Parts: sequence; structure tokens; C-alpha cells
Amino acid sequence: MPELRLSGIVKTFGPARALDRAALSLRGGEVHALMGENGAGKSTLIRILAGLESADSGEVTLDGALLRLGSPDLAKTAGFQFLHQENHVVPALSVAENMHLSRPYPQRFGLVHWTKLRTAAVDALGQLGASHIDARSVMGSLGAGDQMLVRIAATLLDDGDAPWAYVMDEPTAALSGAEAERLFKAIAALKATGAAILYVSHRMDEVMRLADRITVLRDGAHVATRDRAATNRDKIIRDMTGRDMTDLFPRHTATSGPPALLVRDLRAGGLGPLSFAVAEGEILGVAGLSGSGREVLLRALIGAVTRAGDLQLRGVPLAANPAGAWAQGLAYVPPERRTEGVMPRRALAETIALPHLARLSRLGFVQRRKTAGLVRRLAQDVRLKASGPDQPIAELSGGNQQKVLFARALAGDPAILLLDEPTRGVDVGAKFDIYTLIRDLAARGTAVIVASSDLPELIGLSDRIAILNAGRISQILPADGLTEAALLTACYQKES
Amino acid sequence: MASFLRHYGSLIGMAAIVVFFWIALPDTFMTLRNWLNISQQLSMLIVVAVTMTVVMVMGDFDLSVGAMASLSGVVAAVLFAQGLPVPVALAVALAVGLLGGIANGVLVSLIGILPFVATLATMTMFSGAAFLVSGGKTIFGRDIPQEFADFARSGLPLGTWGGNLVVLPALTLVAAVVTLLVWIVLEHTIYGRRLYAIGGNADAARLAGVKVAQLRLSAFAFTGMGAALAGIMYASRVASANPVQGDGLMLTAIAAVFLGMTATRDGQPNVLATVAGVVTLGVMDNGLTQLQVDSYVRQVLVGAIILLAVSISALGRRAIRLR
Repeated sequence: MPELRLSGIVKTFGPARALDRAALSLRGGEVHALMGENGAGKSTLIRILAGLESADSGEVTLDGALLRLGSPDLAKTAGFQFLHQENHVVPALSVAENMHLSRPYPQRFGLVHWTKLRTAAVDALGQLGASHIDARSVMGSLGAGDQMLVRIAATLLDDGDAPWAYVMDEPTAALSGAEAERLFKAIAALKATGAAILYVSHRMDEVMRLADRITVLRDGAHVATRDRAATNRDKIIRDMTGRDMTDLFPRHTATSGPPALLVRDLRAGGLGPLSFAVAEGEILGVAGLSGSGREVLLRALIGAVTRAGDLQLRGVPLAANPAGAWAQGLAYVPPERRTEGVMPRRALAETIALPHLARLSRLGFVQRRKTAGLVRRLAQDVRLKASGPDQPIAELSGGNQQKVLFARALAGDPAILLLDEPTRGVDVGAKFDIYTLIRDLAARGTAVIVASSDLPELIGLSDRIAILNAGRISQILPADGLTEAALLTACYQKES
Repeated sequence: MASFLRHYGSLIGMAAIVVFFWIALPDTFMTLRNWLNISQQLSMLIVVAVTMTVVMVMGDFDLSVGAMASLSGVVAAVLFAQGLPVPVALAVALAVGLLGGIANGVLVSLIGILPFVATLATMTMFSGAAFLVSGGKTIFGRDIPQEFADFARSGLPLGTWGGNLVVLPALTLVAAVVTLLVWIVLEHTIYGRRLYAIGGNADAARLAGVKVAQLRLSAFAFTGMGAALAGIMYASRVASANPVQGDGLMLTAIAAVFLGMTATRDGQPNVLATVAGVVTLGVMDNGLTQLQVDSYVRQVLVGAIILLAVSISALGRRAIRLR
């Protein structure tokens, strides 16, 4: 089994020290999780492995021999394969052709040998346990998860230099639950062939389930590498932050007032009919497996999908389109930050002000000073780290982008706050800030609805949790005293 | 230094072009008379390019503006020939622009056709309509009322300069008013900020409560009106109308917006940058004509300058990304 060792890796960018004696070892046949807060140095370490950055000092060895890195070609020769969140594919070509993009197509008489191309692709997909993917179908018709499987399968095409180490950076970030399950199966298949998988993820459940060993970085330094059996969730959080897990969720004094939102017989795209109420100052969690309707519920409430039913906000019928809903005092933080939330190239102040422009203007003219004041105050409230209101959002870290969306939601002192996966891809430090913001807002009387696939988050944050199952609410549980296992069990149970 | 060049490189380039002609044509180029002349020549293009900016801010564009300018010109002229009063004829011509723009907006935002395809099709239709309305002929002479033709020759007296009366041409004034209006709308009203948000990320804008479909539709209507106004200005200037006289405006207007985008910090459309783009193109045309450069050579040069500016801007942006 090959073994890769990195030790004493130092990398500085100007005055900032991204890596400060980082270390990592990776063995064939293991899944090795790399964890750490944003800014802990994970990305820099991976970029060094990929040959996109060169370390200032430190040593990289493969089976004891010094390994030269520093260019993507060298990384490929060393047997590394990198898989990122974004899939680089050609949507209009077939699966089989996409798999052959970076290698010679099989040929006969100088023409493409289509049968051989297809059988090679089918074989490789089969090895990965991904035979459900038709090699002839068009790549663009596949979901993000299957596209990722195709890209992994492509590395297994028999041309003599299959990689031995796979580096996966937040691979499930864009995947549904079912897609992630397929990826996990593929990872197991790769591991069985003796390959090593370096798995970078914020998601604790995935790491605890997949990893054989876990390395934690903090502030660019190696904190600990432990066997999974010898560690647990709390220990990892402590390694990552120096803070205990229990501190993550601020104390909440539940004070539920009169109902803020009444929902009766809501139906929308496979969802419902369902009815529920949320009180002022209450935080209602929404749990459910992928496909349970969890992804649709908040979109239906904000009016982004066509819906039917009787919805009332403090006794007034709720508008069925986003413009009307915002105007009535709903605020929404969408699940997909990049595609649904921010205007990446534009100033962050514009994203914050957008839904509130009507209040910020007189006779249709935007009042600059008023807008700037609001943005400045909100940026402080959410503890946004940015160079100024004019900074393009794309330059911010994921956690800070999410804080921009929170600032926007808070701006109107909303009656109802809708949060869909509020901390997806956000590091632990920013998570804490966001949880505190949600609690403070609820304490001031806002009704909050949180849909999340992160069960500890739901339990820690909510007053009650509604369980969605096949589009219906199967039960609503008080969050107090609920365990993760009990919640997950409830998610799997049919309506009782 | 490098970042200074990246941000202001295009503006420096534009200034360099002006300085070049100033030196090459010491007696005739940098004169008030020449600049007022340029401003009048460019006024139609400015109106089209500035209103084109409204849709380009959303990441869309409109290929039908040139054909619309031709159509509105012949519509006005035909109505003149029927003996209708000037204000009525002009109102109808502008209404044609509004309706054409709304048609574009419906196709793009409600039906969901790509702007390229939708406005390519309407371009063909407007052009055909212009031939139908005019019978394929140029309308001129006694059919065009004197007061209408006089408008383009009139202006606002500014004072005397070296013994001559200096007049700000009426068409220049119209272009300036349109520019100011669109600048205010895009930069300082809710409407404009929402258009920029749509260009930044249409899905996100919708989820943040922006009525994307309605705004897109109205923006195309805006652009259609601008094209119609330019067509009327053109007809007044040449005291005649023919079914192809506005056609050349479209490509030049799009080129001017792109040229202007290279001068903005964020590489996005902006009204003032568009005007800078128009002026650059106009100055080159004026200067090269005065230098008696062959008109075919002139075309090649203008195209090359546009490519140069856009290439430098693209390379600069790539340098930022790689950093």
C-alpha cells in the first residue's frame, strides 16, 4: 500500500501564514477526512498537493522517497485525482464521451470505435457500482451526483495510470441525500481497490460515517490525527475550534406569543396537503429525508413555486409571489447561496438593499445615505468580515456570503424568517454567529422556520420540529430533550 | 500601477485617441465647431446606445433597434405625407417603438425566447414593415414639413465665440436629455437598481422579491422607444426617411456599450461609459475622415480598436482571477 506523508508544510501569502507546520499522512485503502474551520488551511494544503501552489518549506514523501510537486502534471504523475464541488463536464455530449474527454478515444480505421467507447464506459461505471447510469445518455440530463460519479468512473478507464489517491473537496455540497448515498457507495468501491480518499468536508455525519482516520487543522497547523473509533463529534469540534459543542447553540428562552403564520391545506409540487401554525418568537424546525418535501416547503411559503392553500400572516392572506411576500414582512434565505442568493460580481451592499429598496427611497429615487447607513449597521450586527460595502460578494468566504444574506433578511425586522439550510458550507465560527442572530431575532418576536438536513442544528436551534414524510407532516415534536437518533428515526417513520 | 492601468486603461486609451487627432489635425480637430458637429452627428447613436444600455444591464440585448429606427422614421414621414400634424405623427412613431419594444419584452420575458433569437426575428419583421409602410421608397421633399426638418437645424444659442454665434444643436440637446434621464433612472431609482440586480443574478433577484418578468419587459419597451426616437431624429436631420436609414445604428450601438464596459471598474454596462464609447467611435470616425483615410480602411481600423480595447480588458480581468 502506498503511503503519502506531508510534514512541516509552511506556506505564507504576504504577511499571512496560511500553513504553519501542517502535516498529513494518507495510506492506500483508507478514507481520510481533513477537517478544520474556514481559513484553517485545508484548501491551501490541497492546492499544494494539486501543484497549484508551492510550499515555502516542508517535506512531501511517497513511500519514503521525496516527491516533487509544483505543477498539475507532476500531481497527476504522482497518482492524485482531484474532484471539486463543481463538475466540469460537457453537458451536450454523452456520458461515455465525457469520460473519454481527457484521453484518446478508441479508434478503428482512423475513426472513433463507438462500441468500444461505450463498453469501456459501461465497465468503468460498473466497477463503481454506478450501473444505473446509461453511458449513452446525455451528460446534461444527469443530476449533480451522477455527474460526479461519471467523473470518478472516468479515472477507472483502463489505460494503465489509474490514480491511487482521490482528493474530494466538499463533494456532497451540491448533492441530494440519495445522490450522496450513491457517492458513498462509490467511495467504498474505490477504497476496496486499494485507493486512498482524502475527504474534505464540513459535514460531521459524513465524516463520522466514512472516515477511517480524521486529521484536524487549526490556524494552518496540524492539531491531531485520530482513528475514527478513538474520537467523536465533540472531540473533533473541540480540536477545530477550541470550543465545546454544547456552547455552539446559545441558550433560548422560549416565549411563544400569538400565531404569526397560519397554514391550512398547503399544496405545492408533491407537497401537502399540510397545515401548521408558527407563533411569534417561535423557531420551528423542518426535518425530513431527501424527497420528503423539505426542499419545497419554504419555496412554497415565499411563493417561488406555484401553490394552493390558505396562508395567513397575522390574519392577512399571504401573497403568493416573492415580491408580495417580502413586502408583507417575510424574509427568505435560500439554500443555494451562489445560484439563488447573491449577485456575485456586484457590491455586497446591493444584495443587502435589494428587497428593501422601496423603503430606502423617496419617489422612486434611492436614498444613498440611508442605504449606506442601513448596510453599515447590518454588517456590524452580523459581524461581517468585508473590506467595505462596495466589495464584490464573490470575494467573500462562504460564511461571510451567508452573513450577507442574513443581513438582508434581518433588515426589515421581518415578521417571518424563512431559512433553508442556513449554515450549509459555513465554518463553525460563522455558524455560531448565525445561530446567535436567529435566537436574538426570535427573542424580538420574529417567527422563524428553519429547514435543514443538519439534525444537531435543528435540535439545538428549534422549539418544535415538524417532520416531513412523503410531502406530509407526520408529526411535530418538541425539540427539548430530543436526540439525533430519535429525530432520524422519526424521519424514517411513516405517518402514524 | 498595474491595477491603475487595468481600471483606467480604457479611459487613457480614449484620451490618447483624442490627443492623437489634436496633434495630427492642429487647426480643425480641437475646435468648438468640430466638437459641436461631432455631437450632432453622434446624437442618434447616443440615444440608441444609451437606451440599449438599459437592457444590457440585465445581460440582455436588442438587435432590432436599427430596424426600429428605420421603421419609426418612415412611419412619421408617411403620416406627414397624409397631412397629419407633426406632433400626432411623432406620437404615433414613438408609440410604434413602444409597441415593438413591448413585443420584444413579451417574447423574451414571458415566452422565454433568448434575446438574440427573439430580437433577430423582430428585426427582420420591423425591417419588412418599414419597406411595406414606405412602399420601398424614400419619402422626402414636400412631404416632409418644414418645421420638422428645421428642428434638426435649430439649436440653443450659447453666445458668441470669435465673432461667430455658437449654437448647441437641438439634436445634441435631445441626446443629452435622454442620457441624463437614463443615467438617473439606472443609477438612482429603485427601477434601475433592480435591473442591475437582475443582471447580477436573475434567480436570486426573483427570490429577493424583484418582479423579474415585468421589469425585463418594461426595459425592452424603454429600448424600443429609444430606437424610435433616434429614427425620428435621423429623419429630421436628413429631412427625409427611407426604410434602411437607421439599420447601421444597431451594431455600432452594441459596439459602443461593449467599448464602454471596458472602461468601468466592474466591467459592467453603465450609461456614462456607453457615452464614452460612443464618443470614442465618433471621434475616430471624424478624425480619420478629416485625415482623408479611405472609408474601408476606416472600418478596419475602428473594428481593430474595439477588439484591442476588449482584449486588454479581458486580459486584465484574467490577471485578477489568476492572482
